[in-house]
Amino acid sequence: MAALFLAGVLIVLTSGAGTRVAGQSVKNPDTFVTLRYGDPESLDPAYQYDTASYEIVYPNVYETLIGYNGSVLSTYVPRLSTEVPSLANHLISADGLTYTFPIRQGVKFHDGTTMTPEDVRYSVLRFMLQDRDGGPSWLLLSPLVGKESTRDGDKIVVTYADAAKTVTVQGNNVVFHLAHPYGAFLSIVAAWSFVMPKAWAAAHGDWDGSAGTWQKFNNPKLQDRYAFDHMNGTGPFKLVSWDRQAKEVILARHDGYWRAPARLSRVVIRDVAEFSNRRLQLQQGDADLVEVDRADQSKVMGMADVAIRDDLPRLLIQVLHFNFKIDPTANPDIGSGKLDGSGIPPDFFSDVHVRKAFAYAFDYGTFIRDAYRGKAIQPSGPIIQGLLGYDPSLPKYTFDKNKAAAEFKEAWGGNVWSTGFKFTLTFNTGNAARQIGAQIIKDSVESLNPKFKVDIRNLQWSSFLQLTNAHKGTLYALGWAVDYPDPDDFAQPFLSSKGDYPQRNSYSNPEADRLIQQAAASSDPAKRKALYKQLTEIAYNDVPSIWAAQPTAFKVMRSWVRGWYWNTVYGGEDYYPLSKQ
Amino acid sequence: MTAVRSSTPAIPLSRAPRAGRTVETGWHRTLRRFRRNPLSVLGAVIIAFFVVLALLAPFLAHPTERNPFMIPHSGYASDPHPPGPGHPFGTTEEQFDLYYGVIWGSRTAFVVALSVVATAVVIALLLGSISGYYGGPLDELVMRVTDIFLAFPHLILAVVIVAVLGQSVRNAVIAIAVVEWPTYTRLLRGEFLRVRDMEYVQAARALGGGDPHIIARHVIPNTIYPMLILASLNMGGIVITFAALSFLGLGAPIGYADWGQLISLSHNWIVGTAGDPFTFWYTLIVPGTAIFLFVLGWNLLGDAFRDVFDPRLQGSR
Amino acid sequence: MTGFILRRLLLLPFVALGVSVLIFSLLQFLTPAMRASLYIHDPKQLNALPDIIRKFHLDRPAYVQYWEWLKQVAHGDLGWSETAREPVADAIRGYFPATLELGAYSFACILALGIWLGTQSAVHKDRLLDHVSRFTSISGASLPTFVWGLLLLMVFYGHFGWFPPDRLSLAAGLFVRSPGFHPHTGLMTIDALLNRQWWIFWDAVRHLVLPVATLTYFLTAVLVRITRSSMLETLRTDYVRTARAKGLAQRTVVDKHARRNALIPVITLAGLLFVGLLSGVVITETVFNYPGIGRWGVSASQQLDIPAVTGFALIFSGLLVLGNLCADVLYALVDPRIRLQ
Repeated sequence: MAALFLAGVLIVLTSGAGTRVAGQSVKNPDTFVTLRYGDPESLDPAYQYDTASYEIVYPNVYETLIGYNGSVLSTYVPRLSTEVPSLANHLISADGLTYTFPIRQGVKFHDGTTMTPEDVRYSVLRFMLQDRDGGPSWLLLSPLVGKESTRDGDKIVVTYADAAKTVTVQGNNVVFHLAHPYGAFLSIVAAWSFVMPKAWAAAHGDWDGSAGTWQKFNNPKLQDRYAFDHMNGTGPFKLVSWDRQAKEVILARHDGYWRAPARLSRVVIRDVAEFSNRRLQLQQGDADLVEVDRADQSKVMGMADVAIRDDLPRLLIQVLHFNFKIDPTANPDIGSGKLDGSGIPPDFFSDVHVRKAFAYAFDYGTFIRDAYRGKAIQPSGPIIQGLLGYDPSLPKYTFDKNKAAAEFKEAWGGNVWSTGFKFTLTFNTGNAARQIGAQIIKDSVESLNPKFKVDIRNLQWSSFLQLTNAHKGTLYALGWAVDYPDPDDFAQPFLSSKGDYPQRNSYSNPEADRLIQQAAASSDPAKRKALYKQLTEIAYNDVPSIWAAQPTAFKVMRSWVRGWYWNTVYGGEDYYPLSKQ
Repeated sequence: MTAVRSSTPAIPLSRAPRAGRTVETGWHRTLRRFRRNPLSVLGAVIIAFFVVLALLAPFLAHPTERNPFMIPHSGYASDPHPPGPGHPFGTTEEQFDLYYGVIWGSRTAFVVALSVVATAVVIALLLGSISGYYGGPLDELVMRVTDIFLAFPHLILAVVIVAVLGQSVRNAVIAIAVVEWPTYTRLLRGEFLRVRDMEYVQAARALGGGDPHIIARHVIPNTIYPMLILASLNMGGIVITFAALSFLGLGAPIGYADWGQLISLSHNWIVGTAGDPFTFWYTLIVPGTAIFLFVLGWNLLGDAFRDVFDPRLQGSR
Repeated sequence: MTGFILRRLLLLPFVALGVSVLIFSLLQFLTPAMRASLYIHDPKQLNALPDIIRKFHLDRPAYVQYWEWLKQVAHGDLGWSETAREPVADAIRGYFPATLELGAYSFACILALGIWLGTQSAVHKDRLLDHVSRFTSISGASLPTFVWGLLLLMVFYGHFGWFPPDRLSLAAGLFVRSPGFHPHTGLMTIDALLNRQWWIFWDAVRHLVLPVATLTYFLTAVLVRITRSSMLETLRTDYVRTARAKGLAQRTVVDKHARRNALIPVITLAGLLFVGLLSGVVITETVFNYPGIGRWGVSASQQLDIPAVTGFALIFSGLLVLGNLCADVLYALVDPRIRLQ
């Protein structure tokens, strides 16, 4: 019996050993395998608002009217439209309210039907009117209809007419009528105007495009629509299957694509939570591209036949937020709730000297070096590198303990320095960079004055959500990633009084609001640049947050991958130009 | 006789110690039997070692943070460093010192395990005594409730409780206590049932002794041995469950001196670098050995207690 | 006997009810905002929090939510799992065969190895084999499953690359999910043989080696010790001594007489082993990224996916009750002295 067992072991071992390949001819030359962590939430382009879903949706299966040329974000190329509207070709009206897109002819959907301008119109209206909670619909609703949501509470406050009049079909063109001039509109169209066939959607239980029925399809749950797990677009790949248990999406080449068909015949995108798995599969050549955290980078350096593309610019910012008005009820993070050395008062951070002190106390250099292996830059404000209006010459805070001490001494009439304080900083578990950032603040602030006590607490997401929602956070870490590569996408959530973070943190500056409004309405790049410069200065003077880092990305892939390029807007890769040689 | 159904190894019932003069010789005999078995001695030595470690922690590993359970870290870099000057056992991801973590981790282990055992015993005393002594529908109710708790997969119940209450050491202790109390309650109830019908208890009742008095003076002392056996065998299991919770990100917070937390930090590093898979061996081996020895010690000790206090198995040793 | 079985089966709905009540009563500790974390993953969606709470009725008290859930279940609908992105019933049906496969192979290994080692240990008491097996079994009970699993991964996967985690390699996985493969049972090893795809069979076996080794170590340790002590007791009994005195070969004594009686306590232990397996499978699947019900249960619990956790708990508790019932029935069958009440 023992002999049998041993024999079995030997057989298994030798069969296993055979797959340990060294130096390598291309495996599966027609199939590209990507390993990520995080699986898609929904494949419905109007529902999805997460990176994993976005990778599949755009630009691989669904396409938009205009697109990007490689890595360049500032200019566009025509896709489903035949021209990029501009003032010069008069496709943008002089008042900036009308955008005309001539629609390409002869484009085939994955089911073989031909795309018409009516499909474009339907898709945009569907995108806006589906408006699920926490979804992306506001991106088009806001510039076109002028509202952030179709609903106010439970009531629907947008009529069909309101929406329908913003998107019209004129002959072979689709025309957008904006509510207000919005300079960033083209970048939103480039990233979010996905086109699907109306007939297909209607035939599968989705909205049929008519005025009377849209309300029934408003605010669906995840699984309510056919488009949740079925896709029908114009892109170079079509969906073969989405196996939610294997966490695997399989795409196949769309031979009727309106450009030359893709080189790859199949793409497999798989969610593999374990880094060690991903690494070994890359090593074996079973995977062609794997997602790797910055923290894990040292474990993939020096791998044979593996290429690492580093220093990829990202439109992403990591920020530490000050809560100007902390809710003191049952809040363990503020200690005694008073400035008595064992707590902080609820409005502790409303004094700009406190904020400046923290901003000077943060060791940006060490943070970037240790959390990002040096692959990040320090921003001056929310207008980060890669956006119009970014200016590296503008002032930013430096790590200066003396200045920090000086600011603390001025804070709250000098009381802070003499009585000291104690509070807890929070961040959500699972993010090494935020952990390190929290640690750094704690260490440097505490080193200034023995009466300063900063504790750090990591919370699971549900608790963290509860905390920030109830305005109980004190100093907490959260970031922002790009929706569309326009400075307005970053200025609003951080500086506008109606923006996500200022609302949460009770920060407002009417001057900032005014500047944001102006910059959004203008389509003159020079004018906008000047306005955003002023906004960055406000971000510096008000310091509502510590602008900690703008990290870069890096990608790890087999060296046989050809045609790869980087674009920070994409959720993942553009598989169209890829091949393996 | 209903077939045995329990979620722990069957604890044999011990005989009540004889009252009076023979108690002294009983203890002597017990100790001698204990000492004769090398494995029992090994277990006792290991546990004693950890007790010393836990007690002397502030001297062996000087705390630098306000909360001594938070491990000091030199810098914030991701890559763990091998054992070297300043870090006798090396560091984990983000430079937490493994030596400090192991020393103070023994404190954490004792605190957590003893808290859970204490909580479970208190609940068991309350419920088990009422249930076993009074019997009837109350007993039925308590037994059905323990049935339900025991039908739940342990780790999932603990994970759900911590996920609901929020991640912290205190909540993890609560979660594990919720998982463990049914076993203790059942054991205690069984003992109560057995002792209740014994002659001297019946005699005490006949003499007019009140129920709580009888429970306290006669019943409870006789149930100590099985509880001791269960508790010592359980200590290791509790630490393992707590470590599993930390491994899943639901136990001790990051940077806390807890062996399970240290192991969870090693998780991504066990594949090593591209050239050498064992580059970061110490991140797993160091805390892993600590847990292993701790649990081993308690298992040996628990075994020893069982052998010593349960005559039925004596012949087979 | 039938009466006993029926009465035990009646326990099933009762336990199911109790388990679900237990979970929903934990909901009392959750604020609506915490429950909404299941639907909100990104800071950008924070503004939608009140809407999400309203949309999914997360602010209703726990007993109302429980009542709604009961009504749903009465209609055969176990609800939708956000973490699995499919109905709870589908998720269970999909993940369960993987766990069953892992559990079945582990159970077989535990029994075979445990009983054999325990018997040999008892028969060769105090010799080298006995000492080695006793040490291994004690240390096995002392090492946390996930540490052992990680160690095995480090050596056999990180270094040698022989036994990977997960259930199938990429290529095998793609083939299995293609139209050319017919999944009859959902058990990869069996299906591969039925489809005559030998390479998939070996692939599945390779991926099972480490999880099975991890899962069995702990429980084999327990079984070896119980078998050993039970065997020792039996070998000392009168009738065995008589058999020996009669001159019967050692082998006959052990196999024919001693083993059967020694196995009685082992069978009572089968229930315990089953429980141990179900608990161990949870952490083992997580460590090896094995796509079974345990791993799904853990991630659902972490993310507070209540319908998923409840569905998962129902299945597990049902299995537990059935497993205990089988163990008790077996016990009664094997030992005629036992009368089931």
